[in-house]
Parts: sequence; structure tokens; C-alpha cells
Amino acid sequence: MAAQWDTSRYLSLFVSEATEHLDALGKELVRLEGGVTPEAIDSLFRHAHSVKGMAGSMGYDPTTALAHSVEDLFERVRSAPARFDRAVADLVLQAVDALGGHVKAANERKPFPDNTALIAQLKELTQSLRPGTTPLPSAPPANAPLLETAGGPESELPPRWLVTLRVATHSAQPGVRGFLAYKRLASLGNLFRCTPSLDEVKAGRLPGGTFAVELESTEPEAAVAKTVSQVADVELVSLTRVASAPPPPAPEETKGTEPEPRVVGQEPPRTVRVRTELLDEFLDLAGELMLATAGVREVGRSLQEELRGRLNETTDRLHGLVRGLHDKVMKARMTPVSVITDRLPRAARDIARRRGREIELILSGSEVELDRAIVDELSDPVLHLLRNAIDHGVEPPEERRMRGKPPRGTVKLSVKRASDRVLLEVEDDGRGMDVERLKALAVERGLLTAEAARDLPEREALMLSTAPGLSTAASVTDISGRGVGMDAVKKAVEAVGGTLEITSRRGLGTTFRLSLPLTVAMVNLLLVGLGDDVYGLPIAKVAGVVETTRASLAHSRDVPVLQFGASVVPARELSAVLEVPGRPHDVAAVSPFVVVDTDDGRVALAVDALLGQEEVVLKALTRPLDQVPGLAGVTVLGNGRPVFILDVARLERPNRLPAVGEA
Amino acid sequence: MSKRVLVVDDSVFMRDIIKDIFAAGGFSVVGEAGNGVEAVEKYKELKPDLVTMDLVMPYRNGIDATREILRGDAKALVVMCSALGQETMVMEAIEAGAVDFIVKPPRAEDVLAVVKKVLGES
Repeated sequence: MAAQWDTSRYLSLFVSEATEHLDALGKELVRLEGGVTPEAIDSLFRHAHSVKGMAGSMGYDPTTALAHSVEDLFERVRSAPARFDRAVADLVLQAVDALGGHVKAANERKPFPDNTALIAQLKELTQSLRPGTTPLPSAPPANAPLLETAGGPESELPPRWLVTLRVATHSAQPGVRGFLAYKRLASLGNLFRCTPSLDEVKAGRLPGGTFAVELESTEPEAAVAKTVSQVADVELVSLTRVASAPPPPAPEETKGTEPEPRVVGQEPPRTVRVRTELLDEFLDLAGELMLATAGVREVGRSLQEELRGRLNETTDRLHGLVRGLHDKVMKARMTPVSVITDRLPRAARDIARRRGREIELILSGSEVELDRAIVDELSDPVLHLLRNAIDHGVEPPEERRMRGKPPRGTVKLSVKRASDRVLLEVEDDGRGMDVERLKALAVERGLLTAEAARDLPEREALMLSTAPGLSTAASVTDISGRGVGMDAVKKAVEAVGGTLEITSRRGLGTTFRLSLPLTVAMVNLLLVGLGDDVYGLPIAKVAGVVETTRASLAHSRDVPVLQFGASVVPARELSAVLEVPGRPHDVAAVSPFVVVDTDDGRVALAVDALLGQEEVVLKALTRPLDQVPGLAGVTVLGNGRPVFILDVARLERPNRLPAVGEA
Repeated sequence: MSKRVLVVDDSVFMRDIIKDIFAAGGFSVVGEAGNGVEAVEKYKELKPDLVTMDLVMPYRNGIDATREILRGDAKALVVMCSALGQETMVMEAIEAGAVDFIVKPPRAEDVLAVVKKVLGES
């Protein structure tokens, strides 16, 4: 059957959805070790069931078989939650990993791994949890396609009704009427297959005023009819018993073509998946629009006064709209940090078990949002910091006991918003770093002279741990030693415009503090020349450029002002603003004035030359340059030349803004 | 015994229209409220059989007031009064537990039909 239709176009959806379910499964399993509730088991069951359903639809029989054995196990655990223990969790986690392998294989169009042994183990465990009375039905061969109707649950399903309703044509708000009826039915049980979809119903798009929905409910027929009769302007057209669908026991269906099969009241916020690249393109386009707007303004300069005024008014508005669009696109790229942190409890558990540590991982602030690109880049570094904390930070339980610490170590991962940055901290209460040993190692490797090492402040000495090839670990373990090292962590953090800081107290623990920008560090720059130097002004902050002579500037209360569109803006020498020596200029010569938006309003900056536009990656400044006010960062141009990017928003400080001519 | 109704709307004009409709339909309007805060207080005090609730009101909107009333009395019957164009808000109110809605300007037969259905009288 599966061969009859082309499944390949569903592959990416399968991969992303199955991965989501497996991630959730792993996460919830780990959480379950803290205490089992029937709801939690139901949720696990649903994830396994969804994966099975999807794999079945794709024709992935081995995947279906594996997911089915996991589902069976949960089915059994559901009736005996007390039997859920570490052994169950361990085996299921193994199965989740194996399923992850299947998804990966599917994605790469490689053959599925063989999990016959694992399936056998799952079945054995399932059987051992059986209350004992009934014999296990003969297990289907692992690689054979599995049928959904596995006997048991069918009879336990509540009856299913096909309810067809008509909303009176004279109804003032037919959509709301339909929704009300839907909602009332939902109070009786679970709803499936609303036709047309619930969204259509809500919008009042009801062919002939009717819609139909399947209701799974234990309520008698009369009660269903009565419920409908209590909704004004809604008439029950028909109520017929239909065959119960193969499980889902949960109010959720993955099959069929319904976009809206969920029960009202539990609807998640409406979302749509968008490829990250598409958002990148949106961002590019928004940037281009901004430039085009500036171009229109430029053209306007050759127009007559009256026309120019009107055009400028429109371009101002356009500029505002485009900037709004840019902001919205940026916002759409924001992703909660939970995308990274959700899998950490699972990882922490694995690392701790393998290293013989006992740890408690405390996560906070995972809802804080960052630009998708940053979140993507941080995934591995954060995992490494966690490994590091458990592997090198937290001591083994006996050692902790000897030191008078609780045997179970604590690793805290907290995320906080701090004005326009996000702070991510990984803190452990382990043994801390040995600063002297780090220094000694650095000297030994020739990274430092003995004198320099002696004078090195602790804060900087700790940063030695991020130097390539430097580690105080006695041995490279299979966990922390693989993949990224601390040098890679530091590189990754800096690549997205962030900074890394370490604090550590011997015997008490270590904290890694990542300070990250909120948004992706790509900026469109207008490059301007000042003497021999080049500076970058973020285009987003540039309102326009006017070329005129200094002599032609008007004055308002002794401050030179530039006519810009319908308004006048104060004019400054950029060199004076930056407190760099400016070259003498001829007041009669034409100079470009870049009009920028600062937090304190518009200002026109006189520069020596306009050098063009470039999209660049913003790099954070490191000490001591980060102390210089007015600089937002630095970038390296295509020709290898470093360029400072001005923090335009905060440029205008009254005390450091001499007007044109004063400098 | 006639059913007791609480009418909530920030417009006195609208309250009067609704009150007249109820009076003509044989209901007894036991109280009125001009905003969401008052509505919650009056509900607790009067325990009416039914509430008609405006959506947009000062201090506390009709959706929040409905939520609050239902928190205190899960069986409360709240009927929303909406204007055209407020469909989304009405649906939100229904999610919050409102049992039905009437559309402004209210027409006597529609209001009474809805209210009777809600009270199970038809």
C-alpha cells in the first residue's frame, strides 16, 4: 500500500515531526523518574503512537515495529504505573535513541538499523509487567507490517458518533454559532474530523450552513441530541453511530486530511513552520527595501521643492513601514532557548550515569528567546559546558561526602534577559578550577612566560582553560573530550557576537557566563570615510544622506542645522563625535552628511566620503575596546580591513557633541 | 417563578433595551452592572439564573468578568452580548465558559430564543 503513493515529499515533515515526538518522549521520560502519573504515561504513549502512525504511513516497517513495541510497553505501564522504574526508563530511552537512528536513516535514505534484539527486550519487559493472568498474544515478527487493530483496546473505546449540524441562515454570526455548537459537543467527549475544518467553521464558511464532526463519547444518544438542541440557531441534521477508528485513545489524530482534529480548549497557538532560510531571505529583502527607500529619497532631491516635500513625507512613512517590517521579521526569527535546553536533562542523566556522578540539573529561563541563528550555534557549546560541569566539575559522590558536600551535585543552567543581551549561565557546585595549575600548564606549553603567569589576574587565568589544547583534566574522558572543547565553545560564542566569562572558586564550583546578543549579528552598513579611517553606520539607523557645503548650513540657536525633508536636524562633525582628529575642510566644498536616528533624535553627521554599503557580521569588541563609548562592534570587510561599527542609537551625548565648526 | 437575570453593559441605553426585552419576555431583571468589576460583585450578591455580558467595558472586560464569575460558580450561565465584528472576542468568551451569545443591536425574539434555549425552557 505504501508503495502506491510517493512518500518522499512527506519525508522532511516526517523527520521534523518524528524528531519532535522523540525529543519530547526522551524529555518526559527523564522527568518521569521523579514520579509517575497516569497523564504522564498517556503522554508518552501518545508520542510513541504518533511516531508509529507516521512511520506506518511512510511505509517504514522496521520503525513501525519498534515504535509499536514501545507503545505496547507504555500500554502495559499505564495499567501498572508503579512498575515504571529505572529499568523501564533505560530500555525505553534506548529505544528512543534507536528510533532517532531510524529517523536519521530515513532522512539520509539509508537502510534502517536492525533492532531485533531491542524489540525482543521490549517485548520481554512488557510481558514481565503483565499482571500474570492472560498469556501474551503471539508477537508478530519484527519486520512484518503491523496492523493497528491489535485486538484489545477496540472494545474499550467509547462509541463514536457522526454529528451533522446546520446553522440557521438568519444567524447573525454563523461562525460563532458553529463554534459554540462544536464547543458544546467537545464537553461530551473527544472530537475528530471536523468537516469543514474548525477554522472554516469559525470563519462561518459552512457549505449550506452545515458542518459535521465525529464525537467519541460515552454519553447516550439522547444526551448528545439534547446538548445540540440547547444551542440556539443550530439544528441537528443527523446523528449516526460510526465505526470507532483504530486507536488513538487520545484526542489526537495524525492520519486523515483534517488540519484541525483537536479538541477545542486545548488548541495550541496557531503556528506554521517556516524554513530558517526563508526568514533569512525575508530579512535580506527587508534590508533591500530599506536601501531602495533611501534611493527614492535620493531621487527626490532633484525634484522641485513642493514635490520633494510631498515625496519626502511619503518616503518617511515608507521608511517607517519598512523598518516595522524588518523588526517583525527579526521577531519571527526569535526562538526560545528551550530548543537547546529541552534535551539537556536527558543528556545530563546519561553523562552522570556514565561517569558515576549524581547530579541534579536545574533549568530556568528556558522560555527566553534568542535569534534562531544564535540558538542553533549554541547547541553544541551549551552541551559541552554541561558535560564539562558534570565530568570535571562535580566530584564523585564519595569524594563529595568526604568534603562535606551533599553526594548529589547541582548543575544550574539559567537564562536571563538583561536589557539587550541574554545571559546564559552554567553553574556547578563541584571542585572548581585550579588556577595555579592552569597557569603552570600554560607556561609549560609556552603560552605564557613565568612572569606573565604570576601577574595574570585570576579572571584572565581562568580564560586560559579556553586556550586550544589546554586542559587541567587528568585524562581526556570519552564524554568531555569529544567533539567541541572549551576553545571551540569560546569561538562559537564569539562568532555570534557573544562573550564568555568564567568565575571559579576552589572547592566550591565554577560558573560559565555567556553574554549573548538578542539578535543575529548581521548588519547592513553604510561605510563612511573619515580621513584614512573607515567607519560603519548601521543602515537601519540611517535616514538618508544629503550632500551640501558646510557654508550653506542654516543655524538655529547657534547650532548648525541641515535641511532634511520637511524638517531640520542638527549637524555634527563625525570626527568630533568620535573624538578623533578631523582633517581641515573647506566650508565651500560639498561634503556628505549622513542623517541618522539616535535615541535622542535625528542628527546629521558630516563625513569625508561615502564608501558604499556592505552586509557584515558584527563582532563584539573585546577588552579594552568594549569600554569605548559609541562603538557597537567591529567587523572585517571583504578586503580584510577591520572597521568599527558605530553605536548610532547612543551616539548623541550632549556633552560630547560639539557642533560642526567647533572641532 | 420567573427567571432572574443580571444585565451587564457599560451603556445605560443598551441596558434599558435589554431590560425591556426581558420584562416583555416574562423575566425579572434583578440587577444591572456597568463594568466587569461590578458584574462580578453583583453576581456574587444576587446569584441570578442568567447573566447577559457586554464584551468591551471599563475596568474589567466581559471575558475576564465571565472567567471570574465561573471561577466562583462553575454552573453560572453567562450569555455574551457582541457586536458584529467581535466574533473573535465572542469565541474567546466561549472558550472562557460563556454558554451563548446575542448580537447587538438586540432583537427581542433572538434574545429570548437564545436565553430560553440556555435555560432549557424551549
